[in-house]
Amino acid sequence: MKSAFKNLRLKNHLLTAISYLIPVVCGAGFMIAIGMAFGGSSSADLTKSFSFWDALSTMGGAGLGVLPMIISTGIAFSIADKPGIAPGLVIGLAAQQIGAGFIGGLIGGFMAGWLVLAILKYVKLPTWANGLMPMLIVPFLASFIGCLIMIYIIGGPIGWLTTWLTHYLGTLNNSSKVFYGLMIGVLASVDYGGPINKTVFAFVLTMQASGVNEPITALILVNMATPLGFTAAYFIGKLFRKNIYNKVEVETIKTAFPMGIFEIVEGVLPIVLNDIVRCVVATGIGGAVGGAISMYFSANSKVPFGGLLAIPTMTKPMGFIIGLVANILVTGTALALLKKPVPVDEKEEEEDTSNEAELNMDDIQIS
Amino acid sequence: MKIVGVCACTVGIAHTYIAQEKLEKAAEKAGYDIHLETQGTIGTQNELTPEDIADADIAILAIDVKIKGMDRFDKITKMTVPTDIAIKSPNKLMEKAAQVIKQRQNA
Repeated sequence: MKSAFKNLRLKNHLLTAISYLIPVVCGAGFMIAIGMAFGGSSSADLTKSFSFWDALSTMGGAGLGVLPMIISTGIAFSIADKPGIAPGLVIGLAAQQIGAGFIGGLIGGFMAGWLVLAILKYVKLPTWANGLMPMLIVPFLASFIGCLIMIYIIGGPIGWLTTWLTHYLGTLNNSSKVFYGLMIGVLASVDYGGPINKTVFAFVLTMQASGVNEPITALILVNMATPLGFTAAYFIGKLFRKNIYNKVEVETIKTAFPMGIFEIVEGVLPIVLNDIVRCVVATGIGGAVGGAISMYFSANSKVPFGGLLAIPTMTKPMGFIIGLVANILVTGTALALLKKPVPVDEKEEEEDTSNEAELNMDDIQIS
Repeated sequence: MKIVGVCACTVGIAHTYIAQEKLEKAAEKAGYDIHLETQGTIGTQNELTPEDIADADIAILAIDVKIKGMDRFDKITKMTVPTDIAIKSPNKLMEKAAQVIKQRQNA
């Protein structure tokens, strides 16, 4: 049973789709963030009169609007390769039309991919009709069946679920908000842009697509504060006359800092990998603080990505800034305290391979 | 021993290249030849040629996502792992690869 579940490779397909989704979120997200920062409207009619900033915001918004289709197409492509693309797109559109949004796109993608695989496996045609398979049978049957299921069976309930969830999150009291913020903060900060961070991202993006902006704001905050916290740690360490980074790591900070301003966490990874446990503890604590503060003050970014550029889109930017500063200071101080001091001109250590983690054969697939 | 492989992570800007570096270092240490292709968000770099793959004893695929050209590796032994395993335990992975090759040769 467990292996049957594993063979579905749900996580792998989801991550593949997210890898296609992220550049869209970044590209469109920056456009809408810049546009709205300069007073553009994200729902301008581009056939009538509009300003330059309206155009930027509106196109960014349009790009973000197709995310359910992107996730659906990405998953279907991951499962069924090229034949999955067309049905994935159409079923993703169906999910959007019926109001099932991002969750609908996600489920629709799996449905599209598996439908294509099933059709390729079970529909047998006489030789003369083989040419019809890729052009007619697969795209038509998969899209047709998938859309029927989406629109008449699962779309409605998913829509209700989303509405209920939105309502539930809208009525949270302060202590539950802080709790959710804390969870988002910890989960988003402990793997530096890895699979956990991206899974949380998919979740909070779903929330935003349903009109709840606070969770994704907490994630933006933590993703910015983590690399900025590493930078702060350098200076805080100096205050204590403690040198916590070696030369290579200081160089890494120089690129991680600007990446952090724009909400890209991954810049600090090389530093983290030299000292995983201490870094994860420090960023986890900082992330918990930042996430909780952001949710407590209901900081609300209207864009899903952008780092510093997201701040002008908020109606409560002060809460965000307080949370950001707190997160940076906590992460930075924790790092400065936890990390071992290193001599200023230390050469790169010969890596110790004796204490490398044991391989878990569940993670390795040999074929 | 000759190893080929592909590294690809979700975001395609960091884990991919760190996994590449760690595996290359570990292979060098163990005295193996290694050629790794990266499929990041920027696209494919350091691409493997069909000859590279045909000559290799094993392919190590450190991938979190679907990669391009999976069918290239149909004919050779493959070891597929998530990128974080390649980053955390590259040397153990090399030992395991050598063990797998040995088993295949004896079988």
